[in-house]
Amino acid sequence: MPPFALTSTLSRPVARLGTLALRSRSPIQTPHYAANTSRGVVPHLAHDNLQKHTDIRALYLGLEDFIEKTPPRVPPVFEIHPDSTGSRLRAFTHHSPAPLLILGPRRVPPVESPAANTNATLSICTSVGFRTLDIEEYISAGAALQPDIIIAPGDIVPPTSSRKRAEKSTDRTDLWVSTMLTRAQETPYPAVFAPLLPLAPEQQMWYTQLLCDPDYRPHISGLAVYDTESLLDLPEELQLLPRLALTTPANPVAILREIALGVDLFILPFVDHASDAGFALDFTFPAPAPAPHADPLPLATSLWSAEHTIDLSPLRPGCTCFACTNHHRAYIHHLLATKEMLGWVLLQLHNHSVMSEFFAGVRQSIARETFEADVEAFSRAYEADMPSAAGPGPRVRGYQFKSKGHGEPKANPKAYNKLDDMAENIADATMPDPDIDAEELQEHGLGKALEDEEMK
Amino acid sequence: MPRPPPALTFTLHARCSTTRARASTLLLPHGPVQLPIFMPVATQASLKGLTYAQLRDAGCRLCLNNTYHLGLKPGKEVLDAVGGAHRLQGWGGNLLTDSGGFQMVSLLKLAKVTEEGVRFLSPHDGEPMLLTPEHSIALQNSIGSDIMMQLDDVIATTSPDLERMREAMHRSVRWLDRCIAAHRRPENQNLFCIIQGGLDLELRRECVEEMVKRDTPGIAIGGLSGGEAKDAFCRVVKECTGLLPEGKPRYVMGVGYPEDLVVAVALGADMFDCVWPTRTARFGNAVVPTGTLNLRNAAFATDFGPIDTECRCEVCRPVSEGGLGITRAYLHHLAGKETAGAHLLTVHNVSYLLALMGRVREAILEDRFPEFLKGWFERRFPDGAPGWAVEALAGVGVSIRGGEEEGKGDVEMAEG
Repeated sequence: MPPFALTSTLSRPVARLGTLALRSRSPIQTPHYAANTSRGVVPHLAHDNLQKHTDIRALYLGLEDFIEKTPPRVPPVFEIHPDSTGSRLRAFTHHSPAPLLILGPRRVPPVESPAANTNATLSICTSVGFRTLDIEEYISAGAALQPDIIIAPGDIVPPTSSRKRAEKSTDRTDLWVSTMLTRAQETPYPAVFAPLLPLAPEQQMWYTQLLCDPDYRPHISGLAVYDTESLLDLPEELQLLPRLALTTPANPVAILREIALGVDLFILPFVDHASDAGFALDFTFPAPAPAPHADPLPLATSLWSAEHTIDLSPLRPGCTCFACTNHHRAYIHHLLATKEMLGWVLLQLHNHSVMSEFFAGVRQSIARETFEADVEAFSRAYEADMPSAAGPGPRVRGYQFKSKGHGEPKANPKAYNKLDDMAENIADATMPDPDIDAEELQEHGLGKALEDEEMK
Repeated sequence: MPRPPPALTFTLHARCSTTRARASTLLLPHGPVQLPIFMPVATQASLKGLTYAQLRDAGCRLCLNNTYHLGLKPGKEVLDAVGGAHRLQGWGGNLLTDSGGFQMVSLLKLAKVTEEGVRFLSPHDGEPMLLTPEHSIALQNSIGSDIMMQLDDVIATTSPDLERMREAMHRSVRWLDRCIAAHRRPENQNLFCIIQGGLDLELRRECVEEMVKRDTPGIAIGGLSGGEAKDAFCRVVKECTGLLPEGKPRYVMGVGYPEDLVVAVALGADMFDCVWPTRTARFGNAVVPTGTLNLRNAAFATDFGPIDTECRCEVCRPVSEGGLGITRAYLHHLAGKETAGAHLLTVHNVSYLLALMGRVREAILEDRFPEFLKGWFERRFPDGAPGWAVEALAGVGVSIRGGEEEGKGDVEMAEG
């Protein structure tokens, strides 16, 4: 089987059906998505849960999650013996041979770095702080770690960059990608996905021409897309390559829009964000036939909402995921309210299950040639945006966000208070926004409030 | 008044011919459990990120919920509406709940005990509250736990006030009577009494006599794990088990270090719970036959072996044998950064303690428990076992090699 085969042919931007078969990994039908990872794990999902209770077919990993130790010290991921698939990255992160491993230099989305890239380095953020990553080092990591796909380094700049900066960006990317492709011909190397820069097609024309060069084109296995606009006017030679979008669409309608522009594979941080925010995704593609004049349906259910307190129904009726077949809304509401980690585990299992089904629905729709109409019906049936979060998520870590300096609110609320606070509470009877008052506690049957006795 | 039969069957299979160790099966409303047993603590109806499928796969059939926590969230009304804690958390195994009294005293400053109950300040708004034996039982009835505990008057065993200790012991007996009277579902839920009396053996004896008269389906030894010396702890356990009826399970509350468990089994105890294995997992610590490994230590960054090569848990078992084969290096990589790492360590630690109790049981059934103890302590304390363990085991006829220094390898008790 060729590494990537398109079922549908195309002359203009259009939703495409494809099969991505790399090395001996089981083929992935596209459009599909790769689950985002943090330090090698899909957030909240231990390996047994990932393997037994999800249908995740591909994983995206950022090299910056593995290289706290700067040269000359060797990060552990480079020292482990490769696994049966010949991959150190897979051996280190303990993923089964099933999912495709996609390696990029940075997390998705990357934490904005204070320093700019240079001609020979990318600016990255590890769990111990910002540092630079030599392009050379990254290229070598491809050979050493053997993911299934490596995203070639690009000098990614905002689309609003000056012409001069855009030129510098294409020059650097030009150099970096050609260096990687040259290396890929010399040693056993992962499938290389070349970046398309988030610039207007005419701004990166010279670069895309380079990719079409007969010296390079045969060694390119796919494209990494940072802005779907770059897919317009793509040279013929690059049309049939699979396209992995790092555009991080924030809702299903945005995903559908990009599928319509010809994206094959996505990385979707919004799924993990939804779980962290206490949401159970609740949409299907194609959308169910709406009742006449019905309001658009919400895309997700907030399990923070008190309406689920005693609701024994599954997160989504008929859902076959682990969370829905073993638990009910009341429990997940309880887990969120008590900040128990299992709440996020179960929501992740559900939400990734919903996404797998969503993409399966998309593929069937394209195959039926009803995609355009189905997208339109979906946009009418559902609200456009994800609802906003109703409660706090799990603790965030330094490598997941960037501090904006003085005066910003704490990223995580204080987990513990001094016991003495209790004594102060008595003195200061009017606590601001108490979670629960004694009367409520009494209703809960924990004890009864004492009317007129003081604590001795 | 005739008492309904208990909601459990206790079958004693074997007794160690040297020590007081017993191997038995406890048939509870949600299935049989094999004793001796370690019971992991799922405080708020969840075991620290683990799914109940993972917990079941680790071999757990009986875990704890804390009444105090469930009383606050989700609360009695919700538990009633949902149909109890088993249904709330989707757990088909057995549940044991404490009375909620211990948390009042240990978590809340300014708790005060009167004959009526425990007075405390609401953790949320500082309002004075009262927890009575009747409240505790009503709540545990709503939870629907297979084993529920009486409300007892817990004070630190280290308290020097013998009069207060005596008062607490007698009050615990009176509260047991109130708990029994308030218990609405004795045919479905087992109420255990709790022996109190601090470190005073005379008080303990008196308490055992009174409690045993009440004929509860099982008996707990309480008030320990409060920071007392280990030798004193062992003396109390031994004194109590010597007086307790053979045909009932004995539960030593809040005990969880591996060495404490194996010694307490030798002294005749059957059931244990502790948050230590699950809590320490979240701090990056793995329990192994030689002690604990702090996987956050830089030395583990390139250690590509499993946590414990002999461990048969899902996390340690190699991929070739159907496990995950997770390396120490990767757990180091995740420790303190991604919760999935804590979940994996929790699976290992819980599995380790469950398996340890399984091996203890096997040794008792095959009547080679003294040899097991010797081998186990040699491995755990290559420089010689701590004095308290040597002394306690000598008291039940097993001689293990001690260390040079008194109390070597001794560690503080954890509680929660």
